[in-house]
Amino acid sequence: MKITVNENIVQLDDKCNIEQLLIVLESPLKGSAIAVNQKIISRSEWVNYQLQENDQVSLFQAIAGG
Amino acid sequence: MNNDQLIIAGKAFSSRLFTGTGKFNDQKTMVAALQASKSELVTMALKRIDMQHKEDDILAPLIKNGMNLLPNTSGARNAKEAVFAAQLAREALQTNWVKLEIHPDPKYLLPDPIETLKAAETLANLGFIVLPYVHADPVLCKHLESAGCAAVMPLGAPIGSNKGIKTAEFLEIIIEQANIPVVVDAGLGAPSHAALAMEMGADAVLVNTAMAVAGDPVAMSRAFAKAVEAGREAYLAGLGGQSKIAVASSPLTAFLEAG
Repeated sequence: MKITVNENIVQLDDKCNIEQLLIVLESPLKGSAIAVNQKIISRSEWVNYQLQENDQVSLFQAIAGG
Repeated sequence: MNNDQLIIAGKAFSSRLFTGTGKFNDQKTMVAALQASKSELVTMALKRIDMQHKEDDILAPLIKNGMNLLPNTSGARNAKEAVFAAQLAREALQTNWVKLEIHPDPKYLLPDPIETLKAAETLANLGFIVLPYVHADPVLCKHLESAGCAAVMPLGAPIGSNKGIKTAEFLEIIIEQANIPVVVDAGLGAPSHAALAMEMGADAVLVNTAMAVAGDPVAMSRAFAKAVEAGREAYLAGLGGQSKIAVASSPLTAFLEAG
């Protein structure tokens, strides 16, 4: 299936949850936040949240800042 | 001084120096500087990841060193974006503390008071521990206190300007009126600026740029730590009053004359 992550097209297996997505993207689990179609998905839901075709995923990460 | 802890939202801090993590040349210097500062609360930002240019993971060393994290909402241009950013930060860093900052103007980065108050009300109602970055506006600070903020963070001067405390008279009013901690944030460019804020009775200060861009960030962080402690101790000791004319420190009796 095809989804977008921060406007980049990403091809995934048909069954993929958010935690698996972060592993595929080699993105750290800690310090990350995810919104799917503008809705924030709580960390505790990542394992159970199955992504769907054409989902728009926004991926955020903690960075240095004042 | 050991019992002189700062309490914000029920959490005790031994150090009254809060720090930011931005603008350091490298991660190793940042961690060493933060350790030298003895800071127990450090700010972080949140960014939408650029998939082509991933950022370094700075979170791990901060957690390893026992720092409490204060995510900010930098980049938010209005209340709606700030609330969204705070909710993302809560998920990313697993804390309900947030430094609320909304500064839509990129030149001076001055905080938008109307959107900040709106966002503060919403976030406090959602259970966040809200520390809003604001102009040194005593009326706004009272509104933010009523809205349920845990502290207020009025500015000394524009972010990153290193100009020092340009808002002294208004900070004094804020400090006098506040029933929540006052953390002077932004513009503190030298340890003397931090000491002045503490002598005025600020509960804490937040410093980032002045440490990060110093010739020796670790030594500068240590200097800020000393200045904050000195300023706090001076405030508690009670500063002497000022006088327009000289007031002799030695007896003026004419000791050369016969008694």
